[in-house]
Amino acid sequence: MNELIPLMVIVPLMAALLISAFSKFNRSTKIFAFVVALCLPLIPILSNYGLHYFGGYEPMLDNVTGVMFHPAITYSFTFLQQVFIGAVGLLTFLVIFIYLTKYKEVSGPYLFLLFLGTAAVTAMILTDDIFHMFVFFEILALAQVGIVAASSIDYSYEMALKYMILGSIGSPMMLLGIGFLLALTGSVNITDIATAVHMGLIDATSPVFLLSLALIFFGWLYASGLPPFHTIKSGIYSKAEPHGAALLQSFTVMAMISIVLVMFRIYSTLPIFEVLIVFFSILAMILGVSLALTQTDFRRMIGFLAVGELGFIGLGIGLGTNFSLTAGLFQALNEILITALLFIGFGAIVNATNEVDTRKLGGLLAYHPKVSIMLLIGGLAMAGVPPLNGFQSKLMLVQASLSCGYPELSILAIMVSIATFVVFVKTYYTIFLKPKPNDLELENRDVPRSMVLVMGILLIIIVILGIFPDMVTNGISSFIGGIL
Amino acid sequence: MKLYDQIFGVVKQFKKLFSPGPVTNADVSGSITAEIFLIVSMVLAVILLRHISPLLAGLVTLILAIVLISNIPLIPKFKIEQEDSLEKMLFYAIVVLALIVTFIYWGGILV
Repeated sequence: MNELIPLMVIVPLMAALLISAFSKFNRSTKIFAFVVALCLPLIPILSNYGLHYFGGYEPMLDNVTGVMFHPAITYSFTFLQQVFIGAVGLLTFLVIFIYLTKYKEVSGPYLFLLFLGTAAVTAMILTDDIFHMFVFFEILALAQVGIVAASSIDYSYEMALKYMILGSIGSPMMLLGIGFLLALTGSVNITDIATAVHMGLIDATSPVFLLSLALIFFGWLYASGLPPFHTIKSGIYSKAEPHGAALLQSFTVMAMISIVLVMFRIYSTLPIFEVLIVFFSILAMILGVSLALTQTDFRRMIGFLAVGELGFIGLGIGLGTNFSLTAGLFQALNEILITALLFIGFGAIVNATNEVDTRKLGGLLAYHPKVSIMLLIGGLAMAGVPPLNGFQSKLMLVQASLSCGYPELSILAIMVSIATFVVFVKTYYTIFLKPKPNDLELENRDVPRSMVLVMGILLIIIVILGIFPDMVTNGISSFIGGIL
Repeated sequence: MKLYDQIFGVVKQFKKLFSPGPVTNADVSGSITAEIFLIVSMVLAVILLRHISPLLAGLVTLILAIVLISNIPLIPKFKIEQEDSLEKMLFYAIVVLALIVTFIYWGGILV
């Protein structure tokens, strides 16, 4: 059913608009939001792989050059899109489930932002049109700002505003880069641009082409929260509601892989492209984990760890082989699941204690054993402990960098994993294992059951992917084979 | 004893990192780990320059190691530069944009 391909974007987009318009009907809004959220992971499962041409304008063959041109905005749906849209759809459903069960009165604008963000990242990974991708990238940035500003945490407005101001540098640069590409090729279709580059119709060494790479690359750094945007990215995670932060980090990962795959298709002929990706990935890994080690606010600590993990994804993509790209994309999927689990789990601790400073916490293992055990397994998965999914993807990355002739990168990846383990053990000890401080007053609140249930679901997926990674990696590898 | 005093001085400087509030054993050990991790990982990353020139890699590694070790503690300095100040974030964003454009525009065809 290829008709379902555009519905993956249209359904959350329409739901966002309708919920925003009719949010005063609380009960109806809740039921509607739940039903739509349930549909989000189901649509990609039911849809067939294929292409969708908006307006029905099919590709045209140029009889002189023998090249196909794509006049329509095209959505391409393959196994890769299915996995990632399915994962984000599931996460959106789980997050909305937590939100609906947590509050009696729901906020229409907040649900609007959650659905809008999901629609934006779905469109970004589906589209074969670079300008279309940019439009949804902007929509995503606004949705992210809104989700942070809507939280009840102190200084969330300030952090959201800072993110928006930094976006006012990152986004126009990216648009300018896209403009240069349009000027060179006369097209915004990614397949057409990539064909023109690979057939030698464009001089890959021309300053305009190189400048377009520089500008789009800078926009990508902003979208993915790699340095110099790692501080603000970890900041917005820490100032969003825990379930919102879980979704925000999945948006970041989706935006990161969507844009980098587009760049890879266009600029892979330039060796400097891969050098740059590896450089910024290494920087993200080092800075993310170093700063996570010194945090006392555990939400900020997870934020920095999430940024450090993005470096692993970039490393896989920067190495540029089929195996490394597969490893990088598998790591991206794992990060979406693991970081969501950690944000929700630590959010449950905030809910129970109303405290985020690790120095003021302790002894919570006795009070919240289920949450603590699930968080422990989630943390081990992030650190790359077997047999969890983080181990599989990180092992693949280490093998990939060794086979590419970069043992330094393998050692670095292992060191970052060990440091991640240290961060997690330190935080786990201070929150759960050390004696409870006398002045810590536990709020007489249990952790919401919905949060525990969601953590359980994510944990099951993490374990399954750890034991059977081939379920995902084989399909991703075939997809990569198609674009290399 | 000089190295011991230097390390002890570093630990004392970590106090500033965590103020206001108490400094726990876990915080200090985390900061020392971060310090060592930062130095080792940066030196390790610089070894990648051997793909351009082994001599360059050796020289830069040696110089970087000396500079980093003689400037410990690095983490408080790093943390100050990476706080939530908008001015600093904007400064680094613009510096990186300038570096990327310069590097790719004039050096893109060389790599």
